[in-house]
Amino acid sequence: MNWTRHNPGWTMFAAMIGLLVFLWGLAVPLSSAPAPIGPAAGQFVEGARITVWLTLIAGSAGVVIGIIAGLGKLSRFRPLRWLCDMYVWLIRGTPLLLQILFVWLVAPTILPEGFDLSDFACAAIALSLNVGAYNTECVRAGILAVPYGQIEAAHALGLTTLQTFIDVILPQSMRVALPALANNLASLVKDSSLAYAISVVELTMVGYRVQAESYQPVPVFITVAAIYLILTTAFTTLTAALEAQLAVGQRR
Amino acid sequence: MKDDNPARPIIQARQVNKRFGAFQALKNVSATFYEGQVTAIVGPSGSGKSTFLRTLNRLEAHDSGEIVIDGIELNSNLKNLDAIRREVGMVFQSFNLFSHLSILRNITLAPMRVRKMDRADAEVKARQLLERVGLQSQADKYPLQLSGGQQQRVAIARALAMDPKILLFDEPTSALDPEMVNEVLSVMRELAYSGITMLVVTHEMGFAREVADRIIFFDHGVILEDTTPDVFFSNPAHERAQVFLSQVRHGF
Ligand SMILES: Nc1ncnc2c1ncn2[C@@H]1O[C@H](COP(=O)(O)OP(=O)(O)O)[C@@H](O)[C@H]1O
Ligand SMILES: [Mg+2]
Repeated sequence: MNWTRHNPGWTMFAAMIGLLVFLWGLAVPLSSAPAPIGPAAGQFVEGARITVWLTLIAGSAGVVIGIIAGLGKLSRFRPLRWLCDMYVWLIRGTPLLLQILFVWLVAPTILPEGFDLSDFACAAIALSLNVGAYNTECVRAGILAVPYGQIEAAHALGLTTLQTFIDVILPQSMRVALPALANNLASLVKDSSLAYAISVVELTMVGYRVQAESYQPVPVFITVAAIYLILTTAFTTLTAALEAQLAVGQRR
Repeated sequence: MKDDNPARPIIQARQVNKRFGAFQALKNVSATFYEGQVTAIVGPSGSGKSTFLRTLNRLEAHDSGEIVIDGIELNSNLKNLDAIRREVGMVFQSFNLFSHLSILRNITLAPMRVRKMDRADAEVKARQLLERVGLQSQADKYPLQLSGGQQQRVAIARALAMDPKILLFDEPTSALDPEMVNEVLSVMRELAYSGITMLVVTHEMGFAREVADRIIFFDHGVILEDTTPDVFFSNPAHERAQVFLSQVRHGF
């Protein structure tokens, strides 16, 4: 991890490339594995891709939602504060599986005719809302950690509220919030498996299907677990490097 | 600058009041400051010195009364506020440098964002200012890598980068170790003779006596004395000022 800290840019690059190469090349070693893995290599790769997509989409949307709701919780406007509190309370107090089912079952009834949401989109929305709620608390804590004197200094220099937020508050609060956000992202890789409930064919679903056809759960689930471990490790490395990147100026 | 020409009023405060809850921090404060004038603001702790300074760039909004800076009225009008904050720089007791930005970026941020200067010009200017405060070799360091005295000199350079007509100093040396006070005072002394309008809240009576054209003594939210350093230090009119001076002379 020391290398990560000293070469954050390269580590980020390497982890990203590693992730892509892994997804691209996964089929090669898997297809040469004995049955039941070999014949199902294509399915495993497709499942892993869906899992990564869900994680990246919900992870990014979740950060945006976390920043908006985190700011909302600090707003001077009381109804907005209540709304954000309510959102976090609701999401954190109910199971993720229920949230996924809720979006999947309710979205078709409220969307206008002819506007169809795929199962994948439903899962992405539910996961975004879920991780967004957990991110909200991290972002809020990060914003509160920015010394108020720096905000006053920015205003005194003539920066607008938006400029102050983008140039002074956001980078510093992200630095504080990042370890917790990274944690949430790593959980998201695993939580995305619950999308199987609305028949999204992600990695866990693939494993379930392959073992059901082959009656060999042990090798199948070992393979699935190994892929998850590689994915979570890649995401953790990526965020650790980002953390190191942002930590510039923090320590001597 | 001791100047006999009829100077132009640049700050006009009339009947300014400010309360924090039930506590009245400023009571009908009126004062006019002239272009190029250096004013030292002194007085016991809690007497309203900082509050007065901070109303002049609206870090605190005054409750009633009128403040006009360089012909522009300071009120809730955001256009006026932006115009005034471009003209009024501030240096804080606790430096308030942006800790995630290098020294150079600390100085270039406001000219680039507020004055829309391009990066190359802003950097040239920042390096000139760093040279002026004796820190040309520190441009690429981060605030926490510098001593307090160095940080405060950077903060002065940062304020100067906006070419302010007025500089407000709120106890700029109070957070410094004694051996660093002089390096900051000598930068301020040089500025005072450059013709910029300065309002300096300070406990450095030697500096006030030597550099200031005018002394304002605050007590319980009112201006009790408004006179020249000679008169103030040799023959203050109010007993409160005499008590204050004897306390300062004998250390706290
Ligand atoms: N934001 C604030 N909220 C409540 N009281 C404040 C605030 N700022 C200052 N005060 C009070 O106003 C009075 C004047 O404060 P200040 O202007 O900081 O004094 P000085 O700078 O002369 O030491 C003090 O009694 C202080 O406690
Ligand atoms: Mg003060």
